[in-house]
Amino acid sequence: MVREFSAISSNWRSTESTQAYLTRHNIPVLWDVDTRALVRHIRKQGALRGVLATDGSAAEALVTEARALTSMAGQELASRVSSEKQYAWDKGSIELTASPWHEGMGEVQPDGEVQKFRVVAYDYGIKQNILRLLVDHNCEVLVVPAKTSAEDALALKPDGVFLSNGPGDPEPATYAVESIRNLLGKAPVFGICLGHQLCGLALGGKTFKLRFGHHGSNHPVKNLLTDQVEITAQNHGFCVDPDSLPSSEVEITHVNLNDHTNEGLRHRTLPLFSVQYHPEASPGPHDSHYLFRQFTETMKHWKLSGTLRRGQTRAQ
Amino acid sequence: MPKRTDIKKIMIIGSGPIVIGQACEFDYSGTQACKALRSEGYEVVLVNSNPATIMTDPEIADRTYVEPLTKDYLEKIIEIERPQALLPTVGGQTGLNLAVELAETGVLEKFGVELIGASLRAIKVAEDRLWFKDAIRKVGLDVPASALINNAQDGLKLADQLGYPVVIRPSFTLGGTGGSIAYNREEFSEAISHALDASPVHEALVEESVLGWKEYELEVMRDFRDNFVVICSIENFDPMGVHTGDSITVAPAQTLTDKEYQRMRDAAAAIIREVGVETGGSNIQFAIDPATGRMIVIEMNPRVSRSSALASKATGFPIAKIAALLAVGMTLDEIPNDITKKTPSCFEPTIDYVVVKIPKWQFEKFAGADSTLGTQMKSVGEVMAIGRTFKEALQKGIRSLEPSSPWRAPADTPVSLLREKIATPRPDRIHWLFVALERGLSSKEVIELTKIDPWFIQQMQEIVAVNRRLASVTVETVPEDLLREAKRIGTSDEQLAQLWKTTSAAIRHRRTKAHIAPVYKRVDTCAAEFESFTPYMYSTYEDEDESEPTNKQKIAILGSGPNRIGQGIEFDYCCCHASFALREDGYETIMINCNPETVSTDYDTSDRLYFEPLTLEDVLSVVDREKPQGVIVQFGGQTPLNLALELKRNGVPIIGTAPESIDLAEDRRRFGRLLDELKIPQPKNGTALVPEEAARVASEIGFPVLVRPSYVLGGRAMVIAYDLNTVQEYVAQAALMGPARPVLIDQFLEEATEVDVDALADGEDVVIGGVMEHIEEAGVHSGDSSCVLPPVSLSPSVLARIRDYTHRLAKALQVVGLMNVQYAIQRDTVYVLEVNPRASRTVPYVSKATGVPLAKVAARLMAGKKLRDMNLPVVVTDGVSEIAVRDYYAVKSPVFPFNKFRGVDTILGPEMRSTGEVMGVSKNFGQAFAKAQLAAGQRLPRKGSIFLSVSDHDKRHFAPLAKELHALGFRLIATRGTAAALEAAGVPAEPVYKVNEGRPNIVDLVKTGKVDMVINTPLGRESFYDEKSIRRAAIRYNIPCITTLSAANAAARGIRALVEQSLEVSPLQTLHLKKAAAPQLPSAD
Repeated sequence: MVREFSAISSNWRSTESTQAYLTRHNIPVLWDVDTRALVRHIRKQGALRGVLATDGSAAEALVTEARALTSMAGQELASRVSSEKQYAWDKGSIELTASPWHEGMGEVQPDGEVQKFRVVAYDYGIKQNILRLLVDHNCEVLVVPAKTSAEDALALKPDGVFLSNGPGDPEPATYAVESIRNLLGKAPVFGICLGHQLCGLALGGKTFKLRFGHHGSNHPVKNLLTDQVEITAQNHGFCVDPDSLPSSEVEITHVNLNDHTNEGLRHRTLPLFSVQYHPEASPGPHDSHYLFRQFTETMKHWKLSGTLRRGQTRAQ
Repeated sequence: MPKRTDIKKIMIIGSGPIVIGQACEFDYSGTQACKALRSEGYEVVLVNSNPATIMTDPEIADRTYVEPLTKDYLEKIIEIERPQALLPTVGGQTGLNLAVELAETGVLEKFGVELIGASLRAIKVAEDRLWFKDAIRKVGLDVPASALINNAQDGLKLADQLGYPVVIRPSFTLGGTGGSIAYNREEFSEAISHALDASPVHEALVEESVLGWKEYELEVMRDFRDNFVVICSIENFDPMGVHTGDSITVAPAQTLTDKEYQRMRDAAAAIIREVGVETGGSNIQFAIDPATGRMIVIEMNPRVSRSSALASKATGFPIAKIAALLAVGMTLDEIPNDITKKTPSCFEPTIDYVVVKIPKWQFEKFAGADSTLGTQMKSVGEVMAIGRTFKEALQKGIRSLEPSSPWRAPADTPVSLLREKIATPRPDRIHWLFVALERGLSSKEVIELTKIDPWFIQQMQEIVAVNRRLASVTVETVPEDLLREAKRIGTSDEQLAQLWKTTSAAIRHRRTKAHIAPVYKRVDTCAAEFESFTPYMYSTYEDEDESEPTNKQKIAILGSGPNRIGQGIEFDYCCCHASFALREDGYETIMINCNPETVSTDYDTSDRLYFEPLTLEDVLSVVDREKPQGVIVQFGGQTPLNLALELKRNGVPIIGTAPESIDLAEDRRRFGRLLDELKIPQPKNGTALVPEEAARVASEIGFPVLVRPSYVLGGRAMVIAYDLNTVQEYVAQAALMGPARPVLIDQFLEEATEVDVDALADGEDVVIGGVMEHIEEAGVHSGDSSCVLPPVSLSPSVLARIRDYTHRLAKALQVVGLMNVQYAIQRDTVYVLEVNPRASRTVPYVSKATGVPLAKVAARLMAGKKLRDMNLPVVVTDGVSEIAVRDYYAVKSPVFPFNKFRGVDTILGPEMRSTGEVMGVSKNFGQAFAKAQLAAGQRLPRKGSIFLSVSDHDKRHFAPLAKELHALGFRLIATRGTAAALEAAGVPAEPVYKVNEGRPNIVDLVKTGKVDMVINTPLGRESFYDEKSIRRAAIRYNIPCITTLSAANAAARGIRALVEQSLEVSPLQTLHLKKAAAPQLPSAD
């Protein structure tokens, strides 16, 4: 839904116009709308359900139809959008140009060898750019269905487990909460968005629905560990209540500066951390790419300490 | 991080006079910085030579020095004030360069002053092209291939290697002065020597051309904690090759994908970190090859800039204010967002509208100047327009320029000319683009010729398509949805009226019937995500209106639109003061303006801000919505005045002097009759429409005569004619220019002294605000003449008549508010040249000189207050009240843009050409004049050689001057005629060749630095062909060049003061303390 729709595309990478692309995917566009008025309406009323129609139905009928739609609260959607099968992913980010500049990513060992990590990624509706960034950070990624048990995931011998974003209310996704509880302490865990909310629940916290959610790519989030602010992309309607978490076990790591809601947490002793926003944002800023690095660092230390642990066990 | 407590007193350097490339955007940023720092409890010491600024109002800083912006004066002020810190980043390139000089000469270290906001190293890395390129490469980014050179031979070798065209950029200059693009060896040779001369360090960068690439700017901020945000992205409509100050620009960027935008954002973060700008705002420019996406970094400004002012207005995010707070150690997350109040400043604004900036050029004032746009900025001002789409914003922007009426190309323009007109960027290219598309040139061809992004051309095609549909209907037959569509893409009523051959009133009527009216949306930094508390609005044709007008007592003020020569910052100053005064008195104030550089368009200057074009349609719409009790038109210069009568006819309550009085004063015939009735002398005058009539009128008056068009602004197109031929030619030319408006012919008063008077009146009483004596004689435009307050050479009887005439004129015109009168005094007769019953260019200067804020007082008078209730410090002389003068002289001097226009003669005349002004203050007139000259960039010499060449007429009077200069120890050089006259008068002088007489001639001497000052008065109307080259050479080598005898006399007094007196400085707060007289007013008669 847009104020104005561009009839042409103008970019050296463009292969077709937006309109042709959307037509091909059978996605309608509603344009010439006072979108700002709509935003103000939602800001005042809170999140609303809506119906898009092109068949000339009467407005009252459409309103009735919209009212009849079930609210997002209480809906478990992750398992409905998840991939049904496990698959491997090996594509990295798209290089824009031959520009010599790119971020210094990857972990190069002193001997020049790149250390690789095996990551099991739970698909609750995973965004491809997360997968691409994991690959950029030298991860070999295995995507698994939402309802994969912890046992099955651990059987894949991952260096770390990733919990993806996804739609719907986290609370009814009890299967996921259970898996996470069982993963805790057995492999490093990194969660994003819905993955973060599920971590909150697994650690004993509660979630609630925001009045109109966080959407957009300019949300300031403060990292409480570094006191630095990162500009983040966000798209969520639910939120972890930080006061509901056991502070003895869980540390709040990130907070939204606009409304002071929770944006990140970590376990005080075990290798688990998660953020509410989208560090992989595309579209969106790259300020939070460090979290992927943090994930590989965690996996590196876990592997190292694992080797030590096993060594100690053998010695005993 | 909390703010620093080890700093108590902070010095801010302003940007000085308005020049091309550095205009009132730095008044806006400096004012914000002063206010922000003071509100945090810091003591602020401000130095700025420009009296026409809000920042130099005594209440903005704790200590305000209106002194020359040179190292010596700043050192003196630092010695007196002992600030702990210096904030160099809000005063443009001037402020930054001075800070570097103070740091490198050890002044800052000597007095323990810390640079805050940008370290010396960061400034040097950002400003030095080679260091900057190294820094960019170090973070892995790309730059154009280039090298710095310091002589022409090396340059040529390099240019041959890079291949033509090549770009030439001199180091350390303002607004790209001296920069250019050379397409071949020959052009290069000329361009490189010009560039080397322009650079203060005789150095220039020769660079691979990225002509035709897409150009972008990011406005970014960073704080001590390394938090980094992008405030705004700006895309240039004109591709690389046109200076960004001369480009039409659009915010936010329109033709980048997120991938490319984020890559640019990452690059900006890497650059600001590498350059080492720890806190504050920076502007970083990028170019992208449209064919491959290759991105290169062009340059960076480690300070607030013209673009950051634009970005602030475009987003609602006050960059300069935040930059000042960051400089004292605060962090972005600690500073609340003014507009939402609840959220912090540490975020990136979202824009749900499109902003278009269009520059304003004035080549018509500089005969001989090349109007092609290139890497050196030539525009004098700009407008900004906001719309919900690019189409709407573009069309609103075009009508914000003046003249706002639709532009039409001759219908028979051949296509080949159309191609040339759009291929070469010039001020009118945007209009020609529309014409080319209307005439059926394909988008593809237009894109190939212009390299403008296809998306922009597509938008223009869509406008043209709507226009075609509009052309097939009439005002009666237009379907409502088509009319609405036209309004939604920003088409003005006037455009429709022209298309349908009717009046804009008829269009308005049609619209009203169809309920098609604009709504107002808010600029809120967040695209409505949070509630906004600052009513900063723009019009658009949408569903929902957010203006929420109040029921308070309210007054609307019409601003002055884009800066122009003759209508600049002085008028914005007056509009701001009107708003300040009326707010203090409890009114709600509403500002309407379209100039993004100004303080008036800061969202906290007025209670409500409408960022709108100043056309009848747009103003009426705001008035319809707000229904103010009063509308002020007399503070914004000619722009709002031109609307006054029409507004009144439409029922708008204009307050202050009636529009009819303003009209009367502008109508020569009616005004002449009024002067006759009042028995006030005026130069003989008449009007003419055709050459024969002009000849008759001129002969009756007697030569010389001053010829000009009616309704003038800044003396456009005036000439002094000494013979019939010139007069007839002028009238014939004027008739060609447009619809028949009479040409005015006045007796020209030679050797007269000109005087400006600003006065206040309330309908009953009159108070003279200030009497200013011009230093240049009559004939030089009053805006281009230096002047002094109080007068230095007027006799008591002349002053008495000036007071009496002013008093009677104000009463006769029933002035309520301000009035300006220009007088010429010739042989003891006082003539009235012109009366303007409105705020004048001199109001801020008089206010600074006297300590009485005239514009504030005038605004209160317009709202109904009386002079007698205001307790003004007046003295009564000859029964007329006058603001008491003080025990010092305040000299105002103009600043000219000649260094930007190669080949333009610098001689002063009736056409105003100065862009800015400075003020010098001292108890001694000579010193005040010397200070003003220095502040204007003319460094009067203390010793050395002076070249004298005066007209035969002046030869009769110049002996005393020559004797004085000789007595001061100067060696005098003169052409043979003048030298002989000097010898005859007993003054030794060395003869020198004129340009055509042999070598070395006078121009050679100037170029080799053997002359320290030039006094060259024009030789009547037969112009000597080498005079212009002498004056040009003086400008180029930065030698004071004085073109009138009266100014030369003042200069001699200035030099004596420099030689005999020590440097003295004084803040306005101290100067204004000494009240000169007790308040009193005579009873009304």
